[in-house]
Amino acid sequence: MMTYIVFILSTIFVVSFVSFSSKPSPIYGGFGLIVAGGIGCGIVLNFGGSFLGLMVFLIYLGGMLVVFGYTTAMATEPYPEAWTSNKAVLGMFITGVLAELLTACYILKEEEVEVVFKFNGAGDWVIYDTGDSGFFSEEAMGIAALYSYGTWLVVVTGWSLLIGVLVIMEVTRGN
Amino acid sequence: MKPFIFIIIMTTVISGTIIVMTTSHWLMVWVGFEMNLLAIIPILMKKYNPRAMEAATKYFLTQATASMILMMGIIINLLHSGQWTVSKDLNPMASIMMTTALAMKLGLAPFHFWVPEVTQGISMSSGLILLTWQKIAPLSILYQISSTINPSLLLTMSIMSVMIGGWGGLNQTQLRKIMAYSSIAHMGWMTAIMMYNPTMMILNLTIYIIMTLTTFMLFMYNSTTTTLSLSQTWNKTPLITSLILVLMMSLGGLPPLSGFTPKWMIIQELTKNEMIMMPTLLAMTALLNLYFYMRLTYSTALTMFPSNNSMKMKWRFECTKKMTFLPPLIVMSTMMLPLTPMLSILD
Repeated sequence: MMTYIVFILSTIFVVSFVSFSSKPSPIYGGFGLIVAGGIGCGIVLNFGGSFLGLMVFLIYLGGMLVVFGYTTAMATEPYPEAWTSNKAVLGMFITGVLAELLTACYILKEEEVEVVFKFNGAGDWVIYDTGDSGFFSEEAMGIAALYSYGTWLVVVTGWSLLIGVLVIMEVTRGN
Repeated sequence: MKPFIFIIIMTTVISGTIIVMTTSHWLMVWVGFEMNLLAIIPILMKKYNPRAMEAATKYFLTQATASMILMMGIIINLLHSGQWTVSKDLNPMASIMMTTALAMKLGLAPFHFWVPEVTQGISMSSGLILLTWQKIAPLSILYQISSTINPSLLLTMSIMSVMIGGWGGLNQTQLRKIMAYSSIAHMGWMTAIMMYNPTMMILNLTIYIIMTLTTFMLFMYNSTTTTLSLSQTWNKTPLITSLILVLMMSLGGLPPLSGFTPKWMIIQELTKNEMIMMPTLLAMTALLNLYFYMRLTYSTALTMFPSNNSMKMKWRFECTKKMTFLPPLIVMSTMMLPLTPMLSILD
């Protein structure tokens, strides 16, 4: 099972995306996001990116999603829609899960699959060995490169985050 | 909006577009588009009425979808070529996705539905930025990928855009919607020539931006948003009536005004590439555009609409709106046709 772990995690990833795309009330969508975040962390971990996977938990789930949960709790409605309370949401969820399961079975059975582009069965999702990454972890080298060669990228992303806050404040000001 | 915040947000709008134009990495292209989109939302929502908020939401949704499709195209290009450089040729599948995404951002048919609705819901000055500055970034990326664009896709979209820009604007009386359909038609002309001679696209974009800037500034000077209030211009500032006359003729592409230069050059380049039906079709459907510009001219300059006595006193009051750079813009948007032989420096 360990060789197929990335494939299994990716399938559950898509199912959790379907769970909030079928538009239940935001608090239940937030639950789907938590599951998606955890699974995403698992996928990143399997490719050797231990630091970034834990960053997902810390910053994404522990920072952004907590704030999202609080704001949703402030703006909640008396009878929130769950997946089983409304036939439309349930129908969309089942459609999405069925499509995903059919795609997953198709990938597992066939040798070569072409949906938008070709990929060889489950080959891209299976980790046969850890690969030869030398003495240093590629992910740590990537993060180091962000702060050395990628100074411009840090400036742009930092500025975009500041602008994100200013824009949200400006939009919700209301007078 | 407080001036300090306004300066920061406008800086981000401008730097987002400049990042898109000058970067060599596909991811930064996407980052530039998103920066531009995020920062222009408060500009669109300057007035806090539900119409403006609806327009800003529609703009955000369509542009975010287009950015996602662009990102998908970037990733597919990465998958097939293994590198992120903008100047290298694109994989055909990635090229189709990127062309579709950029067409959504520009408002080319069949993705044009958001343009009139968004332009109508926002104030005149926000509409000005939307229809001029926001076109620069997607067109610069189309310029850079112009050698690998699928011709059938882009030419279909451009012919449809010119037709829809012409026919859609016919039934409009609101000036912002008229300018929105005018923008759709001009984008159609620009993308038609993109594959054959991208320099003519830049020429068309420059002259279009100058003319649209002038038009919006004249409308803002008059504080008019409908054809009916434009028809009272002869009472308020009679000088502007003749300026609008000349400007509308230039927008419609009539010689001897400078709006004729891009159309002439585009038809010349298309016929050099042995396409006969398409420039004929483009030129004929551009007549529809000319018809609704003529209608504006008719109600503004060629007839004097009736008004009550107090309206007839309005010319005595000086308008206090400061329109910087308007006279040079008017000259540039009407009298630059004799400069066309300067294009020979391109050879």
